[in-house]
Amino acid sequence: MSNTNGNTKLRFLPTGSSLHKLSALLTLLLLILAFSFTSPAFLSVNNGLTVLLQTSVIGLLAIGMTLVIITGGIDLSVGSVLALSGVVAGLAIKAGVPVMPAMAFGILAGAFCGFINGLVITKLRITPFVATLGMMMIARGVALQLTGAAPISRLGEAFGQLGNGSFFRIVEMQANGFPKVIFPGIPYPAVLLVVMALIGGFLLQRRQIGRHIFSVGSNEEAARLSGVKVDRTKIWAYTASGALAGLAGMVLMSRLVTVQPNEGVMYELDAIAASVIGGASLMGGVGSISGSMIGAFIIGVLRNGLNMAGTSAFIQQIIIGIVVIGAVYIDQIRNRN
Amino acid sequence: MLDANAQETPLVQMSEIYKHFGGVHAVEGVSVDLYPGEVVGVLGHNGAGKSCLMQILSGAMIPNGGEIYVNGQEADLKSPHDAKKFGIETIYQTLALANHLDAAQNLFLGRELKTRFGNLDEARMHTEAQDALRQLNPNFKNLKDPVAKLSGGQRQVIAIARAIYFQAKVLIMDEPTAALGPSETSMVADLTLRLKDEGIGIFLISHDMHDVFDLCDRVMVMNKGRNVGTFHIEDVNKDDILSLIIKGTLPDGWAPRGESK
Repeated sequence: MSNTNGNTKLRFLPTGSSLHKLSALLTLLLLILAFSFTSPAFLSVNNGLTVLLQTSVIGLLAIGMTLVIITGGIDLSVGSVLALSGVVAGLAIKAGVPVMPAMAFGILAGAFCGFINGLVITKLRITPFVATLGMMMIARGVALQLTGAAPISRLGEAFGQLGNGSFFRIVEMQANGFPKVIFPGIPYPAVLLVVMALIGGFLLQRRQIGRHIFSVGSNEEAARLSGVKVDRTKIWAYTASGALAGLAGMVLMSRLVTVQPNEGVMYELDAIAASVIGGASLMGGVGSISGSMIGAFIIGVLRNGLNMAGTSAFIQQIIIGIVVIGAVYIDQIRNRN
Repeated sequence: MLDANAQETPLVQMSEIYKHFGGVHAVEGVSVDLYPGEVVGVLGHNGAGKSCLMQILSGAMIPNGGEIYVNGQEADLKSPHDAKKFGIETIYQTLALANHLDAAQNLFLGRELKTRFGNLDEARMHTEAQDALRQLNPNFKNLKDPVAKLSGGQRQVIAIARAIYFQAKVLIMDEPTAALGPSETSMVADLTLRLKDEGIGIFLISHDMHDVFDLCDRVMVMNKGRNVGTFHIEDVNKDDILSLIIKGTLPDGWAPRGESK
């Protein structure tokens, strides 16, 4: 009886996943506050947009990663798939395909890699860790083999649009003939990230496929006995993750206006960290796109803020590692209650 | 002795079902039938093959041999989804609930209600689930909590509600009262009789002899993967059944005990 009273008393306090998300959001705000003190340039419109741009690639990967993690799996191949998608798009442009269809080819190549991941995991019954580890090496190898490990450059200005363009950019010509940027504009990648996150969240919360993704991660056998097509659900999640990795590849390569077959190494770990910091459980059944976006921004802000404070890249890795362990620890405490 | 319903088409007819895992023969040539409005008890030791046989009927397991007929039609049950299409619903011993989802989400799992645009219709699923659950247990609360937080009895109620909400014609109950207290057990017993009156055929797996003699019209005993006897409940007593379960044979000098014969 006292137990139920306790529950009703605590009803006004956030519980479970919303508590985790709230604490992540609080961490993000604290980070922003702390970095504003350590470096005066941190809290400026320009830097804010830079963070947005830098986070968009990790954010896109984290959306797909979250879907996969909720099914109880993991996708280690996204960094390599990102590179392979870029290579496919680059080669297509070199072969004379216009930019838009070439990018579509790139994204399709990513989706195909994800589809193969899904097939290997469900039909060959190989654990996600091993299957996607294999794909990580295969996709990287194919990308390097196709290009001879050399970057593909001179892809034309149109290829750089996606990564470097922005909405509402205001530039004024000064008297001395030099342009002055009044407002740098909202970068396309940031808008793309918001759109994909909204779509991802919608699919996960409002559509049958999302419900099935949660059920598969929560109790695979129960989902199967309830008539959920478990294999199809998993293949869907891995394909989505691959397609999003392809899209992230387009954004990244477009920003560089060069296809680098060795780009994106270890990006999967940032994406996994973003999902986990955002409250996704590697045991499956728990997670949200909004949480993962907060997680992606925590990583983005940490990287950017530490850079601006002049912290070395090695120290950054140490700090992010500690943050990931801390997030998982909080998750465990939550599950024990 | 079992020809009382012979003129009627059986609701379910499983004939010569085989299932083996490597060298282990879990089910060997078992045949059983079920008529509308009938409760058939499926008895046997742990590992006698009864759960395996029932999982074959619920589509969760694919047999190595044998045929299944539902209403006289051959049914090829390759997945739980197929079985549900034939109106075969199962209350699993493990309950088969997804712990992170709430009661309504579990009840409609795999058969979600949708709006015109194909989105999940959470509001309708919630009210429907509330009605279905309150019918079984008027005090059912915490509909929005993940089922991991609910009591064993509440979880059982969800599993039962899921089976009957979708108008089952055949119901498989695998130890439905194992996790329940006395009042909930009698609720399940009442429910079983009510569903039987509605013409639903029920396979009941149970270790509880009380339940078996109170609820079943016939019993079928399995021993080491074989069907060692199917009897009208009046024709046998507890000792006969125990002998079948343990030894696989009837006591010496057994004759039908019922007045009907």
